[in-house]
Amino acid sequence: MPLLALEHFAPNWSGDSVSVVLEHERVLVMSRAARAAGIKPQMRRGGVLMLTPDAQIHDRSPTGEEAALQAVALALLQYTPLVALAEESTLLIDIGASLALFKGIRALCRRVKADLRDLGFSARVSCAPTARGAWMLARSGGGRVVKMESMARRLDVLPALVVPSARAFSAWFEGIGCETIAQLRRLPRPGLQRRCGRPLLDTLDAAFGTAPEFFDWVVPAEKFEAKLELFGRIENAELLLAGAQRLVIQLCGWLVSKHLAAERVTLLLEHERGRTARPPSSIDIVLAEPVYQGDHIIRLMKERLGKCELEAPVIGLALEVAQLRPMAPPNESLFAEPGGNPEDQVRMLELLVSRLGADKVRRAKPVADHRPEIANGWTTVQEAVREADIANQLPADATSSLRPTWLLAKPIALLLRDERPFYSSPLRMVQGPERVEAAWWDTTAARDYFVAQGQSNELYWVFRERVTNSEGEVEPRWFLHGLFG
Amino acid sequence: MLLDTTSPETIHPSLWRASQLARSGTRCVDTGYPSLNLQLPGGGWPTSSLTEMHVSSTGAGEVRLLAPVFLAAGKRPVMLIQPPHVPNALALWAMGLNPSQVIWVQPDRNADALWAAEQALRVGACSVVMLWQSHTRNETVRRLNLAAQETEALCFLLKPLASAQDASPAPLRLALRPALGGIDLTILKRRGAQLDSSIFLPMSPSFVHRQNASVDRRPVAPTGIGTLRPELVG
Repeated sequence: MPLLALEHFAPNWSGDSVSVVLEHERVLVMSRAARAAGIKPQMRRGGVLMLTPDAQIHDRSPTGEEAALQAVALALLQYTPLVALAEESTLLIDIGASLALFKGIRALCRRVKADLRDLGFSARVSCAPTARGAWMLARSGGGRVVKMESMARRLDVLPALVVPSARAFSAWFEGIGCETIAQLRRLPRPGLQRRCGRPLLDTLDAAFGTAPEFFDWVVPAEKFEAKLELFGRIENAELLLAGAQRLVIQLCGWLVSKHLAAERVTLLLEHERGRTARPPSSIDIVLAEPVYQGDHIIRLMKERLGKCELEAPVIGLALEVAQLRPMAPPNESLFAEPGGNPEDQVRMLELLVSRLGADKVRRAKPVADHRPEIANGWTTVQEAVREADIANQLPADATSSLRPTWLLAKPIALLLRDERPFYSSPLRMVQGPERVEAAWWDTTAARDYFVAQGQSNELYWVFRERVTNSEGEVEPRWFLHGLFG
Repeated sequence: MLLDTTSPETIHPSLWRASQLARSGTRCVDTGYPSLNLQLPGGGWPTSSLTEMHVSSTGAGEVRLLAPVFLAAGKRPVMLIQPPHVPNALALWAMGLNPSQVIWVQPDRNADALWAAEQALRVGACSVVMLWQSHTRNETVRRLNLAAQETEALCFLLKPLASAQDASPAPLRLALRPALGGIDLTILKRRGAQLDSSIFLPMSPSFVHRQNASVDRRPVAPTGIGTLRPELVG
């Protein structure tokens, strides 16, 4: 990652601004906008400020770079369990065992690059049969080689000073006309060892595969915690998505390396500490089906962030996993089902719920009751309802009683004309009555239901309420309760 | 001479003469009514395509018309998005839908209803998506139709009869009016010749006539269908 020193201050999704990083008061790296403004490496602070007074100047922070490198290493754990940190902002990953899973080297390199871009870093990706060889290729521009011989050819033409331990002797190499790796390898080994020390020869041997390599593999932490300090105060919830995405990619790497799947994820938005301390506001994402891949979480987060209103500018993000479960491998069927698998259905409902709200997406949950409005129960889709419970609540025979497709939320009282109920036209009873008399323990419902037909043949479900007044006479009142859609 | 014998479908499967019905490129689901199957391109409700239904009033039989489709829906969910009233799960159960597969979405805003319909179609996990709209713009219908083409679901857009006069990009448009013992269905637009007369569909089992099937109230088959009459009466 050639721009790590800069990009951990200003990730590449933050927009192009003039920003430079100084080391020992000299410019080390600068953004593209800064280069366009005429800033050159090794320039002093005063020079930078003279060219662009509003430039953002950062001092190089090795601890920040180290943390960023660790974060990237965590994210890369989703491709292989073998990830190691190397010198000069480089990461080494062993993909030998992952090629079949990720469909080849090219596809894997593309995915790694895309992930790094989402994390906010620009990267040069190269791969080679030896880790040191890949490192040297990446340091000098990138490239992919698969065979030992072609790697040796590619490495031979690289400048000798790519090897870090050779840089102390750059004057001597220049003096004897040794410019490329090939020329360096042709020098007599005992003399080279005496003059330049053991590390130079070790590096070359490792790169060309004649000596074994040893790495300290990155070990993921026991508990996942990822924090991100934003480059500025953000007041737009949608802009936070890019930051949240970075945390989710890290989470995926951690989950895969631990063989776990998340059931519940919390995104904490840390607010600026002004005069009044504000607790971080949290966005809780509950997943019906545990996931270990990021796209679904990101899609849900996008809907939730799009809906939420920020009460104060956000300066930091943190991601926590509240519930975990061992990862279950996907259950693939031999023949793809036409309507997608059940996971797709669950995900679609989660997506709907996250935008519309839990009470807007409902699933039927019938109740065994004689009153139609009670029997037609609906519940949120997130509530788990067992099939057996539903079957218990249903009447024994579907054709035993006739029910309309639409129920009115509140029955409409009907006018009477010529002793007939009237709803935009006089109603003619075509079927009935069906007597419903229930709920003496509640408000008693004593109704006679009829199927009524209007003049233009629509079918209505009306009932006559039997109210007994003080004299004991039955006084009919008609109500419209449903429509046969 | 050669031109006369060449039928357009031999040139390209999606070509048809104005006098004939188009063949459907997608799978079609049996409507359950032979007289309707005969008049629809592909012989049934087209999947991966938007079907517009203009209903004269809620209660015209728009859901009962789809009861044979529900029977064939299998276990996949049926989405009702923004229906005009509370759907009755027991009535849908009597039509053959398991209550747990009925999803009722009732968002606050119309834009959210359209979004939900599009998502439901894009994921492709549903068997039937029904969306109720009082007024839609042509861009919306076109977008829904595009989303429908990505799935194998049946997609119905239900609108009031008043909007039947407006042009719409939906490939199949129907108008429904209640009739004695069934519904009268008019095909406003299809890939094929214009059908001027309406089709009478008896709602079977027609509960209204189960008890009152008397001599004087026999369902009257509409005129103008000619050859279809035996099937209708039978």
